[in-house]
Amino acid sequence: MNNFALGKYVPYDTWVHRLDARVKIIAVIMLMVAVFFPLSTWSMTLLVQGTLLVLISVILACTKTPLHSILTSLRSLWVMVLFLLLIYILVPKAENTLGIAWSVNGWTVYWDSFAEAARIVVRLVMMIMLAMALTSSTKPLDLTYALQWYFTPLKVIRFPAEEFAMTISIALRFIPTLLEDALRVMRAQSSRGVDFAHGRLSKRIVGLTSLIVPLFVSSFIRSEELANAMECRCYDPRGKRTRYRKLRFHWGDLVAFLFAGAVMAGVIVLSALHVDLFALMGIVAL
Amino acid sequence: MPIKFENVSYVYSKGTPMEKQALSCVDLEILEGEFLALVGRTGCGKSTLVQHLNALLNPTQGTVYIDSFVNSADKKKRDKKTHPLRKNVGLVFQFPEYQLFEETVVKDVAFGPKNFGDDKETALAKAREALLRVGLDESFFERSPFELSGGEKRRVAIAGVLAMNPKYLVVDEPTAGLDPAGAKEMMDLFRNVHQSGTTVILVTHDMDLVLAYCSDVIVLDHGKVVKTCKPVDLFGDDVTQYSLQQPMLFDFAKSLGEKGYSFDAATLRDVSSLAKQIAQGRKK
Ligand SMILES: Nc1ncnc2c1ncn2[C@@H]1O[C@H](COP(=O)(O)OP(=O)(O)OP(=O)(O)O)[C@@H](O)[C@H]1O
Ligand SMILES: [Mg+2]
Repeated sequence: MNNFALGKYVPYDTWVHRLDARVKIIAVIMLMVAVFFPLSTWSMTLLVQGTLLVLISVILACTKTPLHSILTSLRSLWVMVLFLLLIYILVPKAENTLGIAWSVNGWTVYWDSFAEAARIVVRLVMMIMLAMALTSSTKPLDLTYALQWYFTPLKVIRFPAEEFAMTISIALRFIPTLLEDALRVMRAQSSRGVDFAHGRLSKRIVGLTSLIVPLFVSSFIRSEELANAMECRCYDPRGKRTRYRKLRFHWGDLVAFLFAGAVMAGVIVLSALHVDLFALMGIVAL
Repeated sequence: MPIKFENVSYVYSKGTPMEKQALSCVDLEILEGEFLALVGRTGCGKSTLVQHLNALLNPTQGTVYIDSFVNSADKKKRDKKTHPLRKNVGLVFQFPEYQLFEETVVKDVAFGPKNFGDDKETALAKAREALLRVGLDESFFERSPFELSGGEKRRVAIAGVLAMNPKYLVVDEPTAGLDPAGAKEMMDLFRNVHQSGTTVILVTHDMDLVLAYCSDVIVLDHGKVVKTCKPVDLFGDDVTQYSLQQPMLFDFAKSLGEKGYSFDAATLRDVSSLAKQIAQGRKK
């Protein structure tokens, strides 16, 4: 139950933690773009994605997130991975650059299918790692402030940036609380003999109801209490709000921003110009 | 050897900056038939300790034996089948009213017995009996648990555990937030349960209750067992060091003692036993 690796802030004090949340968001987006840009040949894909994978692993390691927690989050994905692999193998592909894996009665499978599936999985892993690096090193509240900052220009078209940020920050604020509630109810029901992990499906569904109903009840109670407390403190959604902690931009932030930008630009250039470094160096590759 | 803790330590969020040692090197034994009080200041690890009795938590170090069940830090030695254990050890959590979920009170109480293999009729019969035991009559049976008052909800939740007929009943601060009469009824219920042969382990902050109801007491402080004794022996000492308070009765007896009365502290339990001693002293 404790493998909520994604989305859990861990209060270390690393340089990633100290970066400005706004920069972290934009940097993550830029790195994701870099991850998802297609490249012309397989050897280039291998090179670029490999480099990115190393880079992202280093960043994640810098946040002190244990790397094995990625495996935990992947464990829930392996069904999807299998499914992907199956689709790629079953659906015939026209391109053949890597050779034929097997050919049975006209059913031809190229190695490309496997490479394609592998590429998708690797991309997914990198995406998860990036999201993990962001959420484990940034306080949820800082994230919302950063989002609010990005949405502020939209006020021109009457987008309620502040209400939006308040909603998100309340939601984020209550994730750990609800999680705690869930754990508490789960413990209580386990001591009444519910087995959430094993047993017949019908039993498990009853078990799940015994968890969900109390959770709903307590979250309704909480939301009512919260609304009352906000009323009592004269919360006005349209009021102008000041903030205790301000986001600040430092030199390190600029460096991080430029670095992520450079990585993205580099990959885009390689992709758009169909650059093949191997061919340039005179190596004949795949 | 019904329940035994051997060198048990427990650490929350091990290996993160939030690491918190909640129990350290706890050694204790609980015998069958005891009415044991577990006391100590807020955050000293009482709730953590009782969750080991149910294998909801596994020790970070050391071993807990509950009858034949082994709950050990060592995964290989640990018993895997928790179902029989949880039938034997009924655990009522702090603020158990948040665990109700069924449409009717009686169904909710029958949930536990049903999980432990009773058929519907037997489970409902046990539920009705348990509800009557906690002082909720027939008029409550078919009501929704969500429209009850806080104290009534708590009774339903406690009935939900009693209906499982556990050999050990563990209750975590059952009287918190109840009115004095309700608290007394609740404690009389536990005495009743204890007299019918159940070992009761009570976590509480109320020393008057400890003195009046419990046969033994264990004091925890900063995750360590600092005292195991009879309630009267505990209050003979200075208990403020553990952030505990003398029961009112002891304070009273003490100031009477300073005025020249002599008391036999060993038989002091509640108001009537004190009154008896005063009356006897007068007759002499
Ligand atoms: N889920 C958790 N994660 C991290 N630390 C925890 C967790 N639960 C409890 N703790 C910490 O462990 C220590 C012991 O907690 P525990 O709940 O056992 O105390 P307690 O004696 O029951 O207190 P109380 O009298 O307030 O109920 C406390 O310092 C608490 O902050
Ligand atoms: Mg507690």
